[in-house]
Amino acid sequence: MGKRSREPRRAAAPAGRQHSLAWLQGLVVGALVTLATADALLLAALLAPAIVAFVIDRAPGRPVARSVALCGMAACVGPELALWGSGHDLATATGLLADLWTVGVAWTACAAGWLVAELAPVAMRAVLDALGLARAARLRARLARLAEEWGPPGQ
Amino acid sequence: MDWAGGGLPAFGASGPGAGGLPLMAVQAAARHPPRAAVLGALTAPLDGVLGPLAHGPGRGAAGEAAYYVICPAPAGPPLGAPVRAWTEAALLGQVLRPVATALEQLDSLGVTHRAIRLDNVFHVPGQPVEIGAAWAAPPGLRQPALFEPPYSAMCIPSGRGNGTIADDVYALGVLLVVLALGRLPLDGQSDAAVIRRKLAVGSFAALVGDERLPPLIADLVRGMLAEDPEHRPHPSLLLSPVTVRTRRLAARPAQRAQRPLVIGETEAWDARTLAYALAAEPDPGGQALHGGAVVHWLRRGLGDSTLAARVEDAVRHRQAGADDGQRSSAAAAAAMRAIALLDPLAPLVWRSTALWPDGLGTALADAQAGDQAVIGALTEMTNLEAAGSWESVRPERSDAGTLRSAARAQRAWLLGHNAGGLARLTYSLNPLLPCASPLLAGCWVAGLADLPAALEAASWKVDRKNVAPLDGPTVDFIAARSERRLDVQDAADAREAGAGTQFGAAHLRLLVHLQARHHAAPLPGLAAWVAAQSDPMIGGWESRSRRAAIAGHLLEIAQTGYLAPMLSVIEDPRGRIDDSAAAQRAAAEMAGIEAELAEIASGGPARADAAIRFGQEIAAGIGLTALAAVLVAAALG
Repeated sequence: MGKRSREPRRAAAPAGRQHSLAWLQGLVVGALVTLATADALLLAALLAPAIVAFVIDRAPGRPVARSVALCGMAACVGPELALWGSGHDLATATGLLADLWTVGVAWTACAAGWLVAELAPVAMRAVLDALGLARAARLRARLARLAEEWGPPGQ
Repeated sequence: MDWAGGGLPAFGASGPGAGGLPLMAVQAAARHPPRAAVLGALTAPLDGVLGPLAHGPGRGAAGEAAYYVICPAPAGPPLGAPVRAWTEAALLGQVLRPVATALEQLDSLGVTHRAIRLDNVFHVPGQPVEIGAAWAAPPGLRQPALFEPPYSAMCIPSGRGNGTIADDVYALGVLLVVLALGRLPLDGQSDAAVIRRKLAVGSFAALVGDERLPPLIADLVRGMLAEDPEHRPHPSLLLSPVTVRTRRLAARPAQRAQRPLVIGETEAWDARTLAYALAAEPDPGGQALHGGAVVHWLRRGLGDSTLAARVEDAVRHRQAGADDGQRSSAAAAAAMRAIALLDPLAPLVWRSTALWPDGLGTALADAQAGDQAVIGALTEMTNLEAAGSWESVRPERSDAGTLRSAARAQRAWLLGHNAGGLARLTYSLNPLLPCASPLLAGCWVAGLADLPAALEAASWKVDRKNVAPLDGPTVDFIAARSERRLDVQDAADAREAGAGTQFGAAHLRLLVHLQARHHAAPLPGLAAWVAAQSDPMIGGWESRSRRAAIAGHLLEIAQTGYLAPMLSVIEDPRGRIDDSAAAQRAAAEMAGIEAELAEIASGGPARADAAIRFGQEIAAGIGLTALAAVLVAAALG
């Protein structure tokens, strides 16, 4: 009975950590929104595809969302530097968001990240299949040589 | 000059050392081999006998295998062409004395003649007769029943055995009767009738009947024609006829019944004729024996209760404990013992086949030509060591245990684990019997020394690829003629490996031993034959390239004509170990490759998972790289 009672407790531990991690993330985001509203607004707008990807992607580790986010974050560096260099206020952030080029670049980067996340496994599959075929061909050639050398008489 | 060969083909011959003496070559037939022991014993010329001067293989008139015994050619024609009456003085001076002298010489050498008959005794008017050659065929083979003692005449012709000098004395006695009468007694009667008559009334009475012979001749012949060989005078006594005349060894007259016992078509009046009836009519004889009629007749008809009790014991003893499979053999053994008890002078009789035990070899050689009934009887007899049992029934007429030990050895040859068999038994008992292999057709190969050269000659005539150099008869021949136990074992291995079907290392080993011991010269044809037949032996090697290399090497060695290096190349124990180890490694590698190929063929889903995993990592890596690059660029201004 004691062992059985310990099992659910042990299985519940990661779920508890995830819950606390989500709570921590929420705290950080809340703090960011509260303490740096302009940054939060700018990032939320520029990384909107990544936020959507995080919501949609249910795969373990959210690989597509991760790729989209990383590429989108690379496109956010410039606008963030511009925000910080121009007063770091809500008006500047709004002004930057009004620039379609800035938003377009960021969302295009997110799209590129999605594209890479979708195409890379396909390309990888093609590469692995090609490697397998080449290996099989080499093995068959070796097998034929061995059979020719060690086969029974008359064959 | 066939008249000179005593019924065998004979040809005029010449050669060094003959000293102007006219010679003849008497041809032996393959199924009737010459008498090896006699040819070995007669090394010096004898008076009054056309003794062997030389012998050896050759070719017959039609190119067949033949064996010739060279003898002096007879000076005159045979006595039988035609028969005329001789005077007593001529019989004594020109027939009895010279023949008795010759027989005495033969007996001193431990040899019998066994071919004294009208067509084999030669005469020049006024000169002593000389007895012809009797060495190129089994003893007594061509003797008519008239000239043989009844106990020899009732045997199959090839199974009469060497007999004793008393059998020659008997034949001489018949010859004297014929020449004294000037005609053949019992002429026109069948052999069986002659034998029955001799057994019924005795040989002398049967031959002479109411005829009158010169008194001295009659007295001499009466002793010479005694049924019991021990009662016949020795040849040395015949040189002094007067002495023989005073020596009368009268056999006790046989006890005769009031009424006969009819067995088949034969009437038995006494134990001797009953024994012959049982031998001549095996089926009704067996019924009478096992049904009790014989014992009843012996007890009531003949009045010999002792003999009846012994025969009854023999029958009961043999039948007791015999199961269904053995019942037939037990009945044959019982009949054999009963015949021996009824007439201790009778030969061994097994299922109507009568023979003297020392004639087993020649009987087998003769029967090999196709008489399956005789072969079956002789094989069964040998298998059951019947000669030993027969000897035990008549111990007073046999050397103690000689036949029993011989029978045991013959059974071992027949059934032995080491290359045993009927062929081996036959070859072992006939030292000059040629190898019956069809490969050696046209060659009389009687000894191992002749075999390599004969095989070399055959190698140039056969289809080397499809015919093996050693077949079953040759392997049996080698086993029989080999003196070394190892050779016999090799022959056994060769036969187990399938003689005649596939040429193997065991066969090659036999050939190597043959060449090493009997033929020092190269045998290029035989070696090439072996090389052509080497596929099964090379097939034992695993590596194909090594097989090809060995085949090439064998062809090279074959040109030298020596077989031993070929065997070394094929056996090569060290190379075999390496080859086997390499084969095992290759097999393991092939198994690994097969497994890996199967894994590749079935690894699609696994590769898809790996592709997704790696692709996602690559995508993350690209994103991270882009972020890092932008950050570095921003930091650097």
